[in-house]
Amino acid sequence: MTMSRLVFDAAAAMAILFAALMVVHPHPVKSVLAVVVSFFGLAVCYVMLSAPFIAAIQVIVYAGAILVLFLFVLMLLNVGQEAPERDPRPIQRWLSAAALVVFAALLLALLRAHGGSAPAALDPVSADVAPLARLLFSRYLLPFEALSILLLAALVGAFVLAQREKSS
Amino acid sequence: MTAIDWLILALRIFIPLGVILTVVPMLGWAERRGAGLIQDRPGPNRVGPYGLLQLPVDAVKFFFKEDVIPTNADKVLYVLAPAIAVFSALTTFAVIPYGANLPAAGRDIPLIGADLSIGVLYVFALTSLSVYGIVLAGWASNNKFSLMGGLRSSAQIISYELAMTTAAAGVILSSASLRLPEIVASQERLWFGFLPRWNVVPQFLGFLVFFISAFAETNRIPFDLPEADAELVGGYHTEYSAMKFAMFMMAEYVNIMIACALTVTLYFGGWSLPGFHPSGVVGAILSILIFSVKTLFFVLVFIWVRWTLPRFRYDQLMRIGWKALLPLALLNLLWVAGLVAMGWL
Repeated sequence: MTMSRLVFDAAAAMAILFAALMVVHPHPVKSVLAVVVSFFGLAVCYVMLSAPFIAAIQVIVYAGAILVLFLFVLMLLNVGQEAPERDPRPIQRWLSAAALVVFAALLLALLRAHGGSAPAALDPVSADVAPLARLLFSRYLLPFEALSILLLAALVGAFVLAQREKSS
Repeated sequence: MTAIDWLILALRIFIPLGVILTVVPMLGWAERRGAGLIQDRPGPNRVGPYGLLQLPVDAVKFFFKEDVIPTNADKVLYVLAPAIAVFSALTTFAVIPYGANLPAAGRDIPLIGADLSIGVLYVFALTSLSVYGIVLAGWASNNKFSLMGGLRSSAQIISYELAMTTAAAGVILSSASLRLPEIVASQERLWFGFLPRWNVVPQFLGFLVFFISAFAETNRIPFDLPEADAELVGGYHTEYSAMKFAMFMMAEYVNIMIACALTVTLYFGGWSLPGFHPSGVVGAILSILIFSVKTLFFVLVFIWVRWTLPRFRYDQLMRIGWKALLPLALLNLLWVAGLVAMGWL
């Protein structure tokens, strides 16, 4: 086992562990912090897969901006510890069981497809900034632009909603 | 890699780190003497010559003071917060080139911690994480003033980060690289035989936006709303004492140095100087000196501004960030894109 494989496995384990912690932790602020650590582990995984650009974007956009906004809202509302749940409704039990089955099936399919071996690392050159940019602005130009319009629409929507709240 | 390669790598990383940690207390001295100078009073002048030993004495005091952790604080996060602040401040310097290549031990050693292909983005990634130190300090202290300071800080840093990165995008566009050594190399020559090819010349607007945002990102006056003492006692570090408080101060000064080093690298040619072609050990040392002098100049500007301007109001702060700096940064980006498209850059 090489050094980089060891780092990758440790980071991946960290990402999964803290993602699980996010689900089970009763305190919302701690849950958000668990996601931050999980995303950081994910960024390390990207670096070990020779995709440093994706890693940097992962940290800047998700860990550095979106989750800070999550924290901001949670702290502003001063959300405390979650109250212990009442008995879940019957439908919730059935749905969670169904979700578990789907997840297990997906996991099995994934393991069978790769035979338990690690996916090959990307060509370091093709994952770097310039080739990525070239792809984004040539082959994937249409989806790229469509995404930016989608984001703009979301922005305008948020603005309209906020304005309506103010006037009422 | 042989043992000597590892040794060189360790020296490349730890010598600048040591220098930064040595300069930080001196900056504290410079700040207080500067305040004295500007406000027409002596400043610290009792301990040692020119009061130079004041800061080491303060450091010792910090170590021996009682370290209070409030009863209702979240202990783990309360202790973690200053560590995050210092960590994100110190690791940022890794990608900033601080000199020309140094020929030694039969090798051409690049004077940079790590030459990453995503250099500039690495800096922004770490500075965007630094907000957690302040937010967590504010929240974990379980004190309403601290919480308000932490909240203000997160809103402020996110707002000004936008303007800052958009301004820096102009530099990335004109030098066609995210690698900081290549950004330095692209500024080495002259325009029309006399004007340094520094990015500040065509992108003066971008430089202004970047530098003003740097004040907000480091929580300095006139943007030090997160710790506004008149309304928030001490802001996010109200409950911190002894060495943990000192760590926040340390993070602030390291962040100032990083911001200035980055300004120099992006807009003022880094360690290079027009007409200066470093060669050999002497050249490398000279380039380090050039870089230090340029950086220190901007650090002094930070101190100068602190004792000159009053603090903005919170709504003014948000208005400047979103309605003035961000549009100006976009305008700058458009201008640079036009220059690049015309082939003039």
